Parts: sequence; structure tokens; C-alpha cells
Amino acid sequence: MAPLVPMSQPWVEKYRPRQVKDVAHQEEVIRVLTNTLQTADLPHMLFYGPPGTGKTTTALAIAYQLYGPELYKSRVLELNASDDRGINVVRTKIKDFAAVAVGTTRKAGYPCPPYKIIILDEADSMTEDAQNALRRTMETYSKVTRFFFICNYISRIIEPLASRCAKFRFKPLSEEVMSSRIMHICNEEGLNLDAQALSTLSAISQGDLRRAITYLQSAARLFGSSISSAELISVSGVIPEDVVKSLLAACRSGEFDVANKEVSNIIAEGYPVSQLMAQFLDVIVSADDIPDEQKARICKKLGETDKCLVDGADEYLQLLDVASETIRALFNMPQTLVF
Amino acid sequence: MLWVDKYRPKTLDKVTVHDQVAQNLRKLVSEQDCPHLLFYGPSGSGKKTLILALIKQMFGAGAEKCVLIARVQVKMENKTWKIDTGTRTLEIELAMLSSAHHVEMNPSDAGFQDRYVVQEVIKEMAKNRPIDAKGKRAFKVLVLNEVDKLSREAQHSLRRTMEKYSASCRLILCCNSSSKVTEAVRSRCLNVRVNAPSEDQVGDGSSKLSIVQVLEFIGKKENLQLPAGFAARIATQSNRNLRRAILFFETCKVQQYPFTSNQVAPPLDWEQYVSEIATDVLTEQSPKRLYAVRQKFYELLVNCIPPESILKKLLAELLKKLDADLKHEICQWAAHYEHKMRLGSKAIFHLEAFVAKFMSIYKEFLVATFG
Amino acid sequence: MGKRPPVVVLSSSSGEDDGGGRRGPSARRSRTPAPASAPARAQSQSASGARKKARRESSAGRGRRRASEPAPSDSLKVEDVKKWLEEKLKAPKQTVGGWTLVLTGQTGVGKSATVKAIAADLGADLCEWTTPVPTLWAEHVHANSGLRYISKLEEFENFVEKIRKYAILRPTSTTSQRKLIIILIDDIPVTSGNAAFARLGKCLTGLIQSTQVPIVISLTHYHKSESNDTAMWNSEDLESLLQGAGAHKIAFNPVTTNSIKKILTRICKEERNDASEELLHQIAISSGGDIRNAIMSLQYYCLDPRRHSSALPTNSTRAGSKSRNSLVPRQDSYGLSSAPCGRDETLTLFHALGKFLHNKREINGDVDIDLDPFPLKEKLRRNSLKMDVPEKILSQAHGKVRTVADFLYENVLDFIDNEAVDDAWVVVSYLSEADYLLTGSPIASYNSENMSQLIAASVAARGVLFGNAHVSSRWHTIRSPKLWQTEQSYRSNKDQILKERFDCSSSSSSCNFSEIVTEFRPLERWIGPRNSGPRSSSLPHNGGCSLLVDRLDADGSNYEEDDDVIEEC
Repeated sequence: MAPLVPMSQPWVEKYRPRQVKDVAHQEEVIRVLTNTLQTADLPHMLFYGPPGTGKTTTALAIAYQLYGPELYKSRVLELNASDDRGINVVRTKIKDFAAVAVGTTRKAGYPCPPYKIIILDEADSMTEDAQNALRRTMETYSKVTRFFFICNYISRIIEPLASRCAKFRFKPLSEEVMSSRIMHICNEEGLNLDAQALSTLSAISQGDLRRAITYLQSAARLFGSSISSAELISVSGVIPEDVVKSLLAACRSGEFDVANKEVSNIIAEGYPVSQLMAQFLDVIVSADDIPDEQKARICKKLGETDKCLVDGADEYLQLLDVASETIRALFNMPQTLVF
Repeated sequence: MLWVDKYRPKTLDKVTVHDQVAQNLRKLVSEQDCPHLLFYGPSGSGKKTLILALIKQMFGAGAEKCVLIARVQVKMENKTWKIDTGTRTLEIELAMLSSAHHVEMNPSDAGFQDRYVVQEVIKEMAKNRPIDAKGKRAFKVLVLNEVDKLSREAQHSLRRTMEKYSASCRLILCCNSSSKVTEAVRSRCLNVRVNAPSEDQVGDGSSKLSIVQVLEFIGKKENLQLPAGFAARIATQSNRNLRRAILFFETCKVQQYPFTSNQVAPPLDWEQYVSEIATDVLTEQSPKRLYAVRQKFYELLVNCIPPESILKKLLAELLKKLDADLKHEICQWAAHYEHKMRLGSKAIFHLEAFVAKFMSIYKEFLVATFG
Repeated sequence: MGKRPPVVVLSSSSGEDDGGGRRGPSARRSRTPAPASAPARAQSQSASGARKKARRESSAGRGRRRASEPAPSDSLKVEDVKKWLEEKLKAPKQTVGGWTLVLTGQTGVGKSATVKAIAADLGADLCEWTTPVPTLWAEHVHANSGLRYISKLEEFENFVEKIRKYAILRPTSTTSQRKLIIILIDDIPVTSGNAAFARLGKCLTGLIQSTQVPIVISLTHYHKSESNDTAMWNSEDLESLLQGAGAHKIAFNPVTTNSIKKILTRICKEERNDASEELLHQIAISSGGDIRNAIMSLQYYCLDPRRHSSALPTNSTRAGSKSRNSLVPRQDSYGLSSAPCGRDETLTLFHALGKFLHNKREINGDVDIDLDPFPLKEKLRRNSLKMDVPEKILSQAHGKVRTVADFLYENVLDFIDNEAVDDAWVVVSYLSEADYLLTGSPIASYNSENMSQLIAASVAARGVLFGNAHVSSRWHTIRSPKLWQTEQSYRSNKDQILKERFDCSSSSSSCNFSEIVTEFRPLERWIGPRNSGPRSSSLPHNGGCSLLVDRLDADGSNYEEDDDVIEEC
């Protein structure tokens, strides 16, 4: 094998807590879980909450603490959204794994309870059929397996599944917690981050620690060890605040052509429109001088546009549509009906 | 050789328009730790130039001798994906460009079969690790163009490929709008935004060149006399698309040299045709005219002009001549029908629906204003 | 011709059959649910065992035997035929020409039955050409059995040859009580292609001009709609040919619902089978003037008394959906016509398209507007349609939805009033929705796709009907969608460009397709690699592509070719 410089491990993996107690900011969850870990008798579990709050980390940490690194492979099955998780996979793969009896080998220092763990990451992207199929499997093998479901939206888990699990809600990380984590990583990696950059990083990652770490790593790769807040922004794909502001300003002018020019400009600058919409939404919502009704009208259009963008519609036209609707909302022009 | 190619910067050091980006890329390469990259930005902003220069930087001169393998036939056996397709064998013809170190292709050319291209072809190439005598750089670079045109399934399988073969191959993805690339793919890449060069110097103190400066630079190299304002005019005409600007520039040179002071590049014929349609629509609003417009659309479509470009250009032409109130409505309908067009399969239906709606609105407007 | 109802009106001598075209109201009577027929069912059940044997004999056959007195079809025509035959039988044999009678009409109006009955009445012998068991072409090809392939046409020619000799021989035998002979040709060979038709024509003309015994040729009017029927002949051509040769023509109209009902009732009485009035009515209606079909249906229904109930309730539930303003004019009548023995009602695609495009509506549809609890805005209101439910027409037309939509799209603008650009928009926007539905979401399963296809068809058809509020219903040829040619040439152009991308200029090789098309190609004639001479550039006003466009126009508006196109897709 050629001496390929190994691609450095993603920092997200590198700094993932290995112990449940190290998971940041989720005190209640941790307390309950540490208790159950001592008895080694776990119910099925459902972790939910926004991304990057430590759900997967917790699940993995539990598994590690129960089995230790050696048994881990044979006892834990980890499935995430990139694996095909149609109804067939549930029927076969999960069943096969669940059906094999557990050995009695024990490793010193780990509880090694006599069951297996199946971690279903991003469970809310499973089809309803697959979830229904799981129901039976859970019951049939409840003696020998525990399921950990991890999802962002608990509402997308069908009720029968949710009711079989102990539910744990993970809350978004506060800025301080995030900053302290990031500072920790910066120290380890020898990075230089000023206060402004640190707060920018917390702001653009919106309580998502994983995203914050990813941005940090990308920025470190591109710009070396001392990172400014502008560099972080350019790496994250977040659009500079003044671009969004100027779009709103153009809309406030009430002139269609002004707005059109601004939109063309944004497109030429290559900013991702979906991101722009999200930030535009923030700006609109936080603007004090826009009445609620107008806000609602603009937000409605933003929602529709987002759907169109997901469908692959043209960015320029959609953004122009948003701008034009914003103008009309701001100046209380009549709404045209699109059936 | 076209000027577009002749004056394409060959190395990252020589990149003048996006010098900042180039500098970062250089750093990336020198650290020998290159993540997957995603270049995004509008058409004609220099993504491809940067990518080619980057590859050159990575592999030295080796990459220059691009072997042209046109029309490689990829025959796929059923064994590999019998799960979902049974015993079919699929034959996909895909043109690609490759050197010892990199392969470049447009998987979206394969149309609805793009998923298989991504899954199989890429997997195959990623598996075959290059054997380098010096043992240097034992990974291959795969350049994928137009990833935003890939189907969702294809993008998903791309994600798997990226994870699975990350040790042996680096992907460089290139697209116009990053909104159309799934979050999963985007988050696995280092995103590089390439903005369109500005028309003229904004004076922000950066060493970045504007389109006018690039044209002047080329003019100097070619020993051409540029009348005042000529470069600026072409820059305006190009709509911040550097490639188009250079093409226009060369066209002007071929058409008439020495340049006259008020010379403009000839309009692109399809654009001219669309503006004819706009005039047609504005002069008469009737089903008969609609039918006539339809024939013109057909001609454009036969010549492979992308329907969304037609719609955008048409909108731009119509907006020039409308009252402000109508503009809002028209652009709303344009967005509506472009979206429908994307979801549907027969672009002409939606183009015509847009034109019909415009006629309907405009006629109502005319009746309301002039009675 | 699938729309038999109007024809029914024409022949309807007794005015009971109300409102010919839309049988809605008359059929609605059938909504009185099953209880009425329940005792009847019980009775017939008990009696059925005894009569089983008797019924085995085709009641259709028996129906025919009785036909002479009040022949199933209208008596006037029968009278005509009888008169003609009597005349001819008395006439001196030496007269040449005028010996042939052509009976036309759709199946089951009793053409042959009439002739047979009259012949029996007059005591004449009926000579029929019995079609020999044909040697199938496949047999001929495969079996080396030495069977000679004889086409039906050849056999017919032989037959004609024989009777001609016979007919010439005939007058020479001067026996006083000469035998009366009528020749009935029931089954004229199907011809395909002009050569064969010419042969048949020659043969028939020869026969007609030389014969000296009365010959009755019965021609069945097939539904012209059966586009899948490859053996469809051009019966009109044949008819005019026969008439040209001097044959006398009597056209039979379809049997009216009433007389069918009468006959059915009589059969029931004779068979001691108490089929309910409703059933008879339904059968009569769904037979579409085909007495044979009606009798067969009756027999079929009598075989299994349970069907009385199975046929009727479905019917009454359908009728239950109140078709108040007859937007769905005859929904209640297609309960039974879709039952096993209803007649096939296929339409050609063109027929269906014509219906949609011409958009025929009632003139005074707004009688009950005031009674309407949910009055519509003026501009949304439409008079009721003078046709079946669009979905039914679509299902009869057997066209692919895509094809229908393309055709509608291509042609609908012709039918829109030139002032009504709003209508044009409504129509096109509905078509655009239909296209969207047709494309379907990529994850759609097979079933849901099917569903959205149906909906798309409905959206397209109804959109065209609704949107086109100001029809300019002139006569137009229906063009085949130019879209298809456009798509074809688009694909070939695209392939061409992609191919060229690698051999002409190195620069475009690294570019996206759309960039090549929109930027490189238009400028290529100036700065392209082959600067010698203007390259064929893209758009017609550069003269490059006009050839292509010409070709598009050339085969755009030909009706005949359209048929082929449809077969293809």
C-alpha cells in the first residue's frame, strides 16, 4: 500500500465522548441513564431532539459502557439513514441480528447484560410500514434485544413504537456549553480562536455541536491555525448578514427593479438560495417594524418556495418570487391567487 | 484554440479572478490532506478552471496529458445489483475524460439511469486504485460535473460511495446551485463557493480581477487596440459570465477588427429568438398567436435550448416592458410554471401555460387601461 | 359508431323511448330496487329445473323463427324487402340487372332473419354461401401437408363463378313450376388492401350485372371505432360499389328499445320465465338495438337467477348518485352496459378527441340554476355536456393518457375563440397540471401511478371541456402532435451535440451540456474550430435548421397518417 497520508479522522468522531457522563448539557438524561446503567437493565429507548445534541453519542456511549470494545461488534447493530431501511431490511437484517442468541462470555469490567442492542439512527426517516414491521420484531425478541431509536422529530415515530420506549428529550446546547466544548477542541488541536469567532461559530451552528465542530475543522484545514469569524462564515456556507439585509432593504424600497437587481446579484455571487431563505426568514421574523400579518404573508411564501426549491425549481425565479411577494406584502398590495 | 482555453489559467498560482480561493486550495493541497470538495457557483464563474488547476497542482504535469476516452461503454452485469433490478443488464454510454490520476464525467448525461452510473461506474473506478511507481498520491480524483442535476437517488448513493471509498478516491463535485445538492452530500464535502466575477472593479482593494480587467489583459496579450468603453460594454452584455464575455470578445474580433467605438457583440441567436417571442406576445394576445408562439418554442426546444433558460430569458424580456404591478404577478407565474416544468416532463406545456397566462393578464391590463 | 342512441331516435316509431340521446330519465325508473323482482326470482328458481332442457335450445334461434310476422326491425323496411323479393320472383327471368338487393345495418337488426322469414313465407329456396372451413395461413405455412392455401376471397370468387353459371343455366329450364330461388350472401370476405378490394369489387360487379336470380347481400355495419380490428373493411366503399353496379339498397335501422322489449317479454312468456320488467328494460337498452344480443343476454341472465339481483343493485347504486343537472348525464346507464353482455362501445381516439374539442353543450342548461343551493359564479358556470361523462369516453377510447393529452394540447387552440385568450390559459394550465400528474413522483408505486394516470386523463379532458367556454366549433383536421417530432429531433440533436463535444473543440469538452448549447454553439459560426464556411447554426433565421422545420410541417397535418401514429404509441 502506498504511503497515503491517512485522511485525518473527523473531529466529530475524534472528540466524541466515550462515557455517558461526558455528554454535554443533558443533565437529566444523564442522571437517569447512569442509574439504569448500574443495574444494566435497560428498557427500549427513544432519544429525540434537534441535531447535534448528543443523541447518537449517548447511545454509542451506553453500548460501549455495557459491552466494552471487544464485544461491541457482536452485540450492537447500528443502522442509520444511509442504509437501506425499507420494510425488507427490517424484516430480515434486524430480525436476523435479533434472533441470534447471545453468548455468555463476559468481559471483566463491563456489565455485559444478556441482550443485544440495535441502534436505529435517524429513525424518523423510516417508512411507516417499516416501523410497523418493527413493532412485531420488538415484541418477539424483547428478551434478547433492546432497541435505541434516535430521531429529530418524535412525531414521526408511530405511536405504538414510541409507547414501547422510554423517551429522552435532548435539548439544544446553550452557547456557553458549546463554547467550552469548542475551546477544549481548539486547545487539543492547537487552534487560535478569538472571542468574536467563537461567538460567530456558536451563532451559525445554531446549537448543533456537530455542525460547529465540522465548521471548525473545515476552517482549520483551509485557513490554518488561526481562524477569524469571516473565515468561519465562508466555510459554513452561511450567507453574510449584510447580503440578507440588503435584500430586505431592496424589498423595502418597493421598486421591483431594485429587488430584481439585488436578486440577480445574489445569484451571481453564488449564494445557496435555500440557505438564504432560512436567513431571510430570521431577518423577517425579527424585524420589529413589520406587522404580523405581513410577516405571515411573507413566511407563507417562503414556505412554498422552500418546497419548490426542494423539488429542484430554479433558484433565481424562486428568489425573485419571494422578493416580489415581500414587496407586495410590505406595501399591502393585493394578493393574487394561485390556485 | 479558443481564447477561453488559451487564457485559462493552468495552475493555481496563475488564477487571477479567484485568487483567494486559489490560495486556499493551494494550502489544502500542500497539507496533503484533501477532503472531498464541492464547488458551486453560477455558470461561467470559473469553477472548472479552478478544478483543473487544482488537479494539476496535486499531480503535477501528469494530469496534463489527458487521455480522451470518448464513449466508453460501460456494461453492467446483473450480479452487482440484483436486489432491485432482477436480471437486467444495463448498458450505459457515458463520455468521460481521464488521465492517470483523475477521471472526469457528467453522470447526469445518463438521464434517468444516473443512479446506476453513480453506483457502479464510480464504485468500479474507486476500487481500482492507481498504481504509481513512485508511490506518490495513491488516490484518484473523480470530477463529477452537474451534480445538482443528479436525481435524488443518485445523490444518495453518491453519499455512500463517498464514505466507502474515501481512502482511495477524492471526489470533486461541481454544480451551479448547491441548494439542489442534498444536505448529506454537502455536509461531507468542503464547500467552495465560486462567485461570478464582477463586471468592473468595485475597488474593494482585493487583487481579484473583474471581467473588464480580464478582457483588457487578453487584449494586451493579443495586441489588440480596445476603444474606450468597449470592454465594459461586453462585460455588461455577458451578465457577469466570464466565459461568455471572452467568447463575445473573440467573436467581436472575428467580426470586425479594429474595433469600432460602438461595436457590440452579436446577440446569441436563441436569446434574440426569445426576445422576438416576447415582442410577439406583447403585440397580440389571442389563441392564434399562442399557437404561433408554440411553434417558436418548438424550434428552440429542438435546438436543445434548456426550457428553464427560455423561460428566464422570456421573463427578463417581458419585465423590461411592463408596469410595476404586472411585474409582480408575472414573475410569480413564471416561478410557478418553472416549478411545474421541473416536476412535469413536457416543458412545452408549461412554457405555453406561462405565455397564455401572460397574455390573459396583459390583455386584461390593456382593456382596463385603454378600454 | 359507438353512439347508437341518436340512431335509436331515428328509427323509434313509438315515442315511448324518451329522449333518445340521454336515456337517463328512462333508466332512472329502474332504480326501484330489487324487492319487486324478489318473488319473481323465487319462482323462476323453482321452475328453472324443469325447463333447463328446453332452454338449452337457443332462444335466440327461436326468436328468429318467429320473426317474420312483426320482424324485429321496423316493419316498413321488412315490407320493402318482401315487396322487392316478391316482385323479383315473379319477374321474367330474362331481364338483366336489378337482381340484387343490399341490406345494410348494424349487427342483430335482423337482416338475414328477414330474408329467411320472407323466403319461407314465399316458399322460395334460400341458397346461402356457406363459408368453407378455411385453411389458415399459419397451417399453410407450417404444415407441409400439401394443403393449398386458399384465401377466403378466392373461395368467394369460385362461389360467385359457380352461381353465375347456375344463374345463366337457370332460365333455360322452362319448367312451369320453376323453383323459386333466392341467393343470400351473408358473409362477404374481408379484404385488406386495395388490390384485394378491387378483386372483390370486380367479382361482385360481375355477379350483380349478370345474375338473373334475386341475390340478397347483407352487409353489416361494424363499429368503425374498432381500430384494433385489423380486418376492418371499408363498408361504405363496398356499399357504394354495389349500388353503382345497380343493386337496390335497403338500410335497416337498429331495433328500438321498445320493440326489443316487446320481443323479450314475449320470449319470457313463452319460456315461462319471469324476468322482471326492469331487467328486460336494461337488457333492451344495453343491447343497443341489437336484437340478437338482447336475446342472448336474456338467456344469459335467465341461466342464473342470481344475476337478476347482481345486475340490478349495482345499477341502482350508480343511479343513486344524483345526476341532478346531468353533468354526469348517463351514469346510471352504464351499470349494465359494462356487464358481461353489454355491447362493446369502443370509440376511436379521434372520436373521443372530437367530442372533447368540439365541446357540445346544451343550449339552455340553466333552467335549474335558481334551485341550485350552491350557485356558481357566472364565469364558472357551464351548460351541461351533450355527451357521456368524459371519463367514460376516455375509457372507451382506449388511448394512452399521454397520447390523449398530447393530442388535446396540439389541437385545442384551434377550437378556442380567437378573442378568448383567458380560456386558452385555463385550458393550457389544466394540461400543464395533467402533465405534472402524469410524470408522477419517482417513488410512486405502480398502483398509485396508475391512479394518477387516470386522474391526469380526467384533468386533461375536463380541463379542456371546462376551460373552453367559447368554443369556435368549426371543422378542423386533427393534427398529430408536433411535440412528438420535436422530441425526437431534440434527442437526436442532443446525441449529436454530445458526440461532437469530444471531437471538435477541446474547450467544450469540459463544459456542461447546457453551456455548450447556449453559449458555444451560437457563437461557433464565428469562432468555431472549423471557421471555414458558416456552420449549420442552430436557429432557423440563420437558415440552418429550416430543413428540419419543414420536415416537421410536412407530416404534421395528415389525418391518414395519424392513425398509424396512434397505433405505434
